[in-house]
Amino acid sequence: MAGRRPILHAGHAFLLPWFVGFFGLTLGPALASLYLSFTNYDLIQAPGWVGLANYVRIVTADSKVAESVRVTLLYVALSVPFKLGFALAVAMLLNQGLRGLPLYRALFYLPSLLGASVAIATLWRQVFSGDGLLNRVLAPFGIHGASWVSDPDTALYTLVALSVWQFGSPMIIFLAGLRQLPRDIYEAASLDGATAWYQFWYITIPLLTPVIFFNLVVQTIDAFKAFTPAFIISGGTGGPINATLFYTLYLYQEAFGYLRMGYAAALAWLLVLAIGAVTALAFLTSRRWVHYEA
Amino acid sequence: MRSPRSIVSHALLCAASLVMLYPLLWMLASSFRPNTEIFTSISLIPAHPDPAAYPRGWTGLQVPFGHFFWNSAVISVLSVIGNVLSCSLAAFAVTRLHFRGRDLCFALMLGTMMIPYQVTLIPQYILFLHLDWVNTILPLVVPKFLAADAFFIFLLSQFFRGIPRELDEAAVVDGCSPWRIYWNIMLPLSLPVLGTVAIFTFIFTWDDFFGPLVYLTDIENFTVQLGLRGFLDSSGTSDWSAMFAMASLTLAPVLILFVLFQRTLIQGIATTGLK
Repeated sequence: MAGRRPILHAGHAFLLPWFVGFFGLTLGPALASLYLSFTNYDLIQAPGWVGLANYVRIVTADSKVAESVRVTLLYVALSVPFKLGFALAVAMLLNQGLRGLPLYRALFYLPSLLGASVAIATLWRQVFSGDGLLNRVLAPFGIHGASWVSDPDTALYTLVALSVWQFGSPMIIFLAGLRQLPRDIYEAASLDGATAWYQFWYITIPLLTPVIFFNLVVQTIDAFKAFTPAFIISGGTGGPINATLFYTLYLYQEAFGYLRMGYAAALAWLLVLAIGAVTALAFLTSRRWVHYEA
Repeated sequence: MRSPRSIVSHALLCAASLVMLYPLLWMLASSFRPNTEIFTSISLIPAHPDPAAYPRGWTGLQVPFGHFFWNSAVISVLSVIGNVLSCSLAAFAVTRLHFRGRDLCFALMLGTMMIPYQVTLIPQYILFLHLDWVNTILPLVVPKFLAADAFFIFLLSQFFRGIPRELDEAAVVDGCSPWRIYWNIMLPLSLPVLGTVAIFTFIFTWDDFFGPLVYLTDIENFTVQLGLRGFLDSSGTSDWSAMFAMASLTLAPVLILFVLFQRTLIQGIATTGLK
């Protein structure tokens, strides 16, 4: 029976764990949280239907939401471009066929791997405190900083710095992308007398746009979801004066601090909508600036 | 050939890596310093190295830190087993088996990758509360056995697609069951990518703070991340050297994995965009 492929049946048995997980841990809970977002629920009394009241309050009456949205957007808008900028700059430096590339790559990647841990967030808290490491290093230069983590004007920037410090993983992706670029285009450009700067802007960047786009989307979504550093640096409060009150941190406080589960579910759904909208925007505009062909 | 340009590049890269790693090395050095010296010395070599902070930190909370290490190790190892098994089963089904709704299932798997955990968090918590699982490791481990990390299904299915179909077709002709094809052909041929899944699962689980924060309330059940946070709240800001000693210890397993498997880790990121 030439050409007839043997067919394997048993798919449903293999998929059983995933089925249970999909319905029990993803789809079911997602629908349940949509329902809860229209209720008041404190884990003790049965959920009471309140219609759109949670959403109305979030949008119009809760000043802490406005505060946390501002903090989160500022964090995303600062940390993502700086992180990607560093990642690309270092990847360009590393892509010149230097010796010791694997060692450098590993060293630069290390913070990405450790950065999500409580240990690093704790270290950050000390480094940026009033008598912490940073001010000690700056002192000989005549700069006497205050406590960066407890000043509401600078606390968020310490978190941005922590995020930028972890530029390693987008850097590795940039590096992999740079290595795929066709060499002959650069040779032709050099023969035509194009400067390195011109080659960077008119060859490297356009050819790299798919990778830039990927890193941009992944890092933006990640930044929206950041939680641990703000929690540790502020001791769970989002302080000083809400300066590090990430949206996710506020959601956590509402859900598990005040047991306002319905309200927190509404916050969660708005977060999904926001992330979805930003991602959709990125994909829509990508047609204008992402080039998929060399 | 050493051009002036490559010397400049090396100088820049050396300086940059030094700046980046300096806080880490300083933390390690400071764990061997007395507290009085931490706020005055910026050097990477302690004047009089003294490991006293380690035993002090180890017993700094009412439960010794060894307990937290054990809890973290149990959760991480079980998560690795769960992810490797359940995600490879699902990936095998959607790439190698034929059944109704297969493409729909694969699309749903990709779709769940887009859903942030905050959306399912609260109903999941209520579910686990009713199952009486809160304050046990079950809410952290059971989802891994149910292929909840769709990303790894995707990663594995991409790898499985690269394994020649002739292998399992020949095995079917020889009367092999799908289970034996999965177990005796696909898994042994997929060891590199299974290793990637295992290492990343271990590191993500070890570093996870949010899950344990939500589900583990009793200090006896704390993971190292929660233990460290408890330490920071109780005595950390008065005893930084003990704090840094414990912080360095919690980083050690990830560092060891990194040194042993950095090639796998870096390839995993370059090809998939993982953290």
